[in-house]
Amino acid sequence: MSRLYDTVEPAVVDEDMLKRAVEEQGPKDEAGKIAKSEGIDFGDVLSLRLDFLNILKIDNLWEFTALTKLQLDNNIIEKIEGLDCLVNLVWLDLSFNNIEVIEGLNALTKLEDLTLYNNRIATLENMDTLLNLHVFSIGNNMLTELGNLLYLRRFKEMKTLNLAGNPFCKQNGYKQYVIAFLSGIDFLDYRLVDKQSREDAMEKHMIQREEMLHNEKQAELKQEEEVKNKQQLELHKAAYVELMDGPHLFEMMYVEDSEGQKLSEMPGIEDLLQTFKDKFVAICHQMFEYGLKEHEKRDSEVKQFWECVEDAKQENKNLGMHAINNFMVVKKRTMQELVQISDQKVLESVVADYNKQVSELWDKLMGLELQLVDQLEDVIKDFERSMQDLVASFQENIQAFLAQCRDLETFHHEKMMEIAIVTLEKVLKNELDDEINEDLRMLFVDKDTIMNAVSSSHDVHLLKIDNKEDDMVTRINHWLKTTIDKIHEDEEISRNRMRVTEINNLIDHLRDEIDNLEVLQAGNY
Amino acid sequence: MADEPDQQPDNIATEEEENQEKGELNEEQDGEKEIPEVTVTEELTEDAEALKNELNKIVVHPPSIDLSIPMKEFDQTEFPASYKENLPKENLVLQYAENFRRQYVHLYRDRKPLLLNPVNECGTEKFVCTTIRPTQLEFKELYNWEGAAEFVADYLNFETLEPPTELPRRLLSPTTILKRQKGNCFDYSTLLCSLLIGVGYDALVVNGYATRETCLADESREICPLMKKKEEVKEEVQKKEQKKYAVKAPKDLRSKFELKQDAKAKAEKEAEEEQRKKEAEEKAAELEKPPPDPLYGLRVHAWVLVLAGRREVPESFFIEPFTGLSHPVDSQNYLGIESVWNATNYWVNMQDCSDGVKGLSYDLGDCTRWEYMFPITEKPLLKIPDVEDDIGDLDDDEKGSERLNALHHDNTQLTFSEEEENEMDKNLDMPPSWVEPIKLSLRDFQMRCPQGKKTKLYKRAKLEKFAHYLMKDGLVSKLSMYDNRELTDLIMVREYFAHRVDKLCTKVHNHRSGWNTEFFDPGRHKCLKEHQFKASSPGPENDRIMLFYDEARVDGLVKRVECLTEMTEEYRNRDDYLYYKQVEFGKRTKKFGPQDGTGANNMRPIVKMVQKFNRNTKKSASEDIAELVFLVSEDKIQLTYHTEDPRIASSTREFLKPANWDEKGATLTFNPEMHQTFQVDPTSPMNKNVELYEMLLEMLKAEEKCRNEVRESEEEVREVLNERTKEETASELEISVYDTDRNEKAKKHRRELERLQLEERMRKQEMDIDYLAPFLAQMGNPDKITRQQAYQLKEDCLGDLKKRLIDKANLIQARFEKETQLLEKKQAWYQQNQVAMSKDDEEAYLDYCSEALFRIHILDLRLARHKEQAPHKYMQLEQRLRSEERLAEFF
Repeated sequence: MSRLYDTVEPAVVDEDMLKRAVEEQGPKDEAGKIAKSEGIDFGDVLSLRLDFLNILKIDNLWEFTALTKLQLDNNIIEKIEGLDCLVNLVWLDLSFNNIEVIEGLNALTKLEDLTLYNNRIATLENMDTLLNLHVFSIGNNMLTELGNLLYLRRFKEMKTLNLAGNPFCKQNGYKQYVIAFLSGIDFLDYRLVDKQSREDAMEKHMIQREEMLHNEKQAELKQEEEVKNKQQLELHKAAYVELMDGPHLFEMMYVEDSEGQKLSEMPGIEDLLQTFKDKFVAICHQMFEYGLKEHEKRDSEVKQFWECVEDAKQENKNLGMHAINNFMVVKKRTMQELVQISDQKVLESVVADYNKQVSELWDKLMGLELQLVDQLEDVIKDFERSMQDLVASFQENIQAFLAQCRDLETFHHEKMMEIAIVTLEKVLKNELDDEINEDLRMLFVDKDTIMNAVSSSHDVHLLKIDNKEDDMVTRINHWLKTTIDKIHEDEEISRNRMRVTEINNLIDHLRDEIDNLEVLQAGNY
Repeated sequence: MADEPDQQPDNIATEEEENQEKGELNEEQDGEKEIPEVTVTEELTEDAEALKNELNKIVVHPPSIDLSIPMKEFDQTEFPASYKENLPKENLVLQYAENFRRQYVHLYRDRKPLLLNPVNECGTEKFVCTTIRPTQLEFKELYNWEGAAEFVADYLNFETLEPPTELPRRLLSPTTILKRQKGNCFDYSTLLCSLLIGVGYDALVVNGYATRETCLADESREICPLMKKKEEVKEEVQKKEQKKYAVKAPKDLRSKFELKQDAKAKAEKEAEEEQRKKEAEEKAAELEKPPPDPLYGLRVHAWVLVLAGRREVPESFFIEPFTGLSHPVDSQNYLGIESVWNATNYWVNMQDCSDGVKGLSYDLGDCTRWEYMFPITEKPLLKIPDVEDDIGDLDDDEKGSERLNALHHDNTQLTFSEEEENEMDKNLDMPPSWVEPIKLSLRDFQMRCPQGKKTKLYKRAKLEKFAHYLMKDGLVSKLSMYDNRELTDLIMVREYFAHRVDKLCTKVHNHRSGWNTEFFDPGRHKCLKEHQFKASSPGPENDRIMLFYDEARVDGLVKRVECLTEMTEEYRNRDDYLYYKQVEFGKRTKKFGPQDGTGANNMRPIVKMVQKFNRNTKKSASEDIAELVFLVSEDKIQLTYHTEDPRIASSTREFLKPANWDEKGATLTFNPEMHQTFQVDPTSPMNKNVELYEMLLEMLKAEEKCRNEVRESEEEVREVLNERTKEETASELEISVYDTDRNEKAKKHRRELERLQLEERMRKQEMDIDYLAPFLAQMGNPDKITRQQAYQLKEDCLGDLKKRLIDKANLIQARFEKETQLLEKKQAWYQQNQVAMSKDDEEAYLDYCSEALFRIHILDLRLARHKEQAPHKYMQLEQRLRSEERLAEFF
């Protein structure tokens, strides 16, 4: 480390440097000795200091995943990079470097303290994800635009800010501007913001502030609204009736139906179309309501199921813990006895007794686990059955609703057909009063054409309805399948595996313990 | 009213028998008188002679009624005129009452006389309603009936009626009763009623009959109200909802038949047990029953009835004035009611009391049940108030009341014959009470009982009450509980304290177990709430339980249980989640290794310390310590972690302390053999040695801390005990700053203020003395002072002062000379008789000499001082005269 300051020889962050730093800054004394002999994992290091090292490029830090504090001050870093792995970082010091742009910090969401003092930064940007920021130091930089400070308004937690030494500090009213527009700041440029100056600043910038606050409020409301809508849609989707509370499906039928669109221009079918639409939408709405209701039912069923499962598991767990605790008391007593006994025979009998107890514990715990498995199996079966019933009835009802839609469509189609034939006759006889548009006229060339057009429109509509039905049915079936599978997987198989492993592990440990003790004892004699 | 209102049947029966006997006797007497008139025939047999002799022996005296009630105990002069005389209106009311009584006696010959106008302490007849003086006293305790009744019961000593079956002939005013602090049941009831009506209750005095126990205020069969346990409100156990997916219980593989048999046997056993218990209880109850009372149903008593309605009283009830307790209106203690009255009216009971007071209606407006005396009816009448029209409509079976209603008319006609009837009905109201206002001083109120002490006997209990500040240690009541009715086998003594500086509020001494329990109010130095200890071994390190006000303590300590070898502490709401700490101590004499020699030689060596922690949800369960055991004697530290949610076992860890752990500054070495662990999750990574080493250091620190805390706790116990002993010996009482009567400091301060005020006044007075007045008077007090007069005045004034100064100097001089002369004489006398003088005389002479010399010396000094000050005084006066307002224009 005998580098001279004036000989600017950029250093590279390499393993040696990191190791040295870690060892230097790691545990001291005896602990250090142990650590050294054992080797320090970079992944365990919580704090690292790499200052005055002439580092040009941040690199090779990807191993330090647990790092919470990193000091890279007084180097010659020009670009913030290579920090994406350090997601646990809380404290980052990049002061006295040559950084020009704020970047590469987006992964550091836990960051609370960021120092960029004495760099060459001209704009505040690219910090949108650092919402936990408490302390921010960007003094001695090249910030010129006061308006750029509004960028800092998004950091609601920020209490301490250092801007001293930037070009805009020379402007009149700089301090008041900052205080007025960043009202959460308690400490500005090394000093406490007192009440008087805060009031003054507020008064001075009142109008702009109010306006800004108003705008922000509006935006916030809008965002809330959006979130709410999204949630609503999410809920509807979960109920498989999204967008059904309106003419969406009806409109969808006509989107890809070019003939239908043309035909709807036909004179005299406006009323028909309107009644058709009304009726259709009404059915859709019924379906929507039904879907939500069913969804609620399913939800409550699922909730009830989980409650019961949790109860059962809790009860079983309590029983198990009780058994273990009882055993631990026995064990403690046995261990105390063992220390005092010197007679080999008695000792053996005690050990044998202990082992028997361990076996009994194993039996007991395993019995409990088997009991739980049985119970859960029954319950899951019940649940599966009733869920299947629910889903089946949902499907049936939905299908019934859609059948109604289809009937409507067929009825509508027939009417259309009649009107089309009548219109065709009129067109052929040139009795049509109104002018009809050219596309439509093209259809009324002969009977086949118009019939085809009407039929194809009908087919498209039916297809849409069929698609909707398919979609709903497959989705709910898929949901049912995944849910049940997951329950089987989680509750039956992995839970059981884990518990059995745990029990065996415990029993092994208990047996080992007595064996070890015996070894010790044997050694003593 | 078909059945004649009859009282207790046996009551009437005895009366009738008596009457019959009397009648027979009279007849016989008459016969005797007739004998001389009848010519004595020869046939007069010897039998007749014998009979005659026999009859002659019987001398019947007319019953002598002592109408003069001794009034000696009252000083007649101290009562105002209203006590000795009756106002015209009072006379009218008395007349009215007399008329009522006469007609009542006429109509209901079988009924006992009513208490209407007994004499008062001055021997004047007063109507009972006017003896009630509704009063509201300034003490807030008396605003509720409980407080008022308790006060009356405590404040007075009771006297029984003599004889117990007769109404008293005298009824004292409540004021006198308060002064005497003594009274019979009527006096009690009148006073209590006055207080209750004064604070708005609808209270009435009841005259009736009661059991012997009630009349004699014998509560020895009642359970002491302080011992009655509060009824525990049982929370309804919410029935567990049968959930749809609840798991089935595991199959019960036991034999159903055997279970049934077992249950049967158990039930039988229980039934037997119950039967036995019941029998024992019955036996005990039988033993406790009072012996039969020959006067049952005849004992006259008075108590108070509080009617529902006013002061949010939901239901009518009785108050027993002797005990101050409430009784339901169907109480077994009361056997019948003759009449009730309050300050405005008098009602006679017309209902059947053969079944005690059960089922009586207290709708005083119901004329068929209650016969009123004055037709002013505040109480809602069932009938239309205009009685005249209603009489005709009455049913035949209401004849009794009909007649009495007519009687009212007679009465009004009798008294107000000239006036119109209707108006009279409304106009006759009660004259104001003749009683002096009831007054009670704060001190008397606080004394509560006569001489501030009262003892009551209850069933297997004795309650002693003391006035506040009466006992030096602040004792206010003492409840002794016994195991037998003879009150010889003491079980427990409970003492209640008030105003103690050490906040002690209750002390319980259990004589059976020998444990003492002390309860404290919040605000003590160490936040002690309860302290239980063995009376035989109150010193530190013995069995004791201490409870604390944990909200007030920094360490959140709730409870500390101590015995010779163990100390357990429980905590609540601590930041470090500690909730339990247990320490085991070894024997002092035995050395337990190095940890003994930490300088605390007098401390018990610690063998084991256990700390338990609640779950800290911020840490993961496998890092959150649940139990920490320091096996000090084995140099081991055991850790048990919390159980993770789906798991059932918990991870454990055990450290063996390095050999040199207690050497200061020594480097602690670590090797992996010193550590053992069991991880529930076998896949979790093993800790590194550095981490383990650091953990060990931490644990050593924790152990040190824990040990220090234990020592502190021990120290605290000692401190508390010392404090307690000191307080017990001092037993100071707290006096409120507002208690001007008792607060000595405040009194002193007030006296000081008064003194200062007085001084100020004196000074002012002095200032007001006009020193020019005598001289002005000499000039005849001229309105305007001329120049010449002014000079004259000045001259006079100064001359006078000069004269006075000279006089004073002369006086001092004269005294000085006299003293000197006397001394010289004495000296001469001494010299002459020196030889013949005894030692005592010589001493007396010497004493005199020294005293005389002292006096001379003083006079000398005074003279010198006078000489020195005289010119000053002269100058001062001159100065003053110059600046005098009245002479200002001339100088």
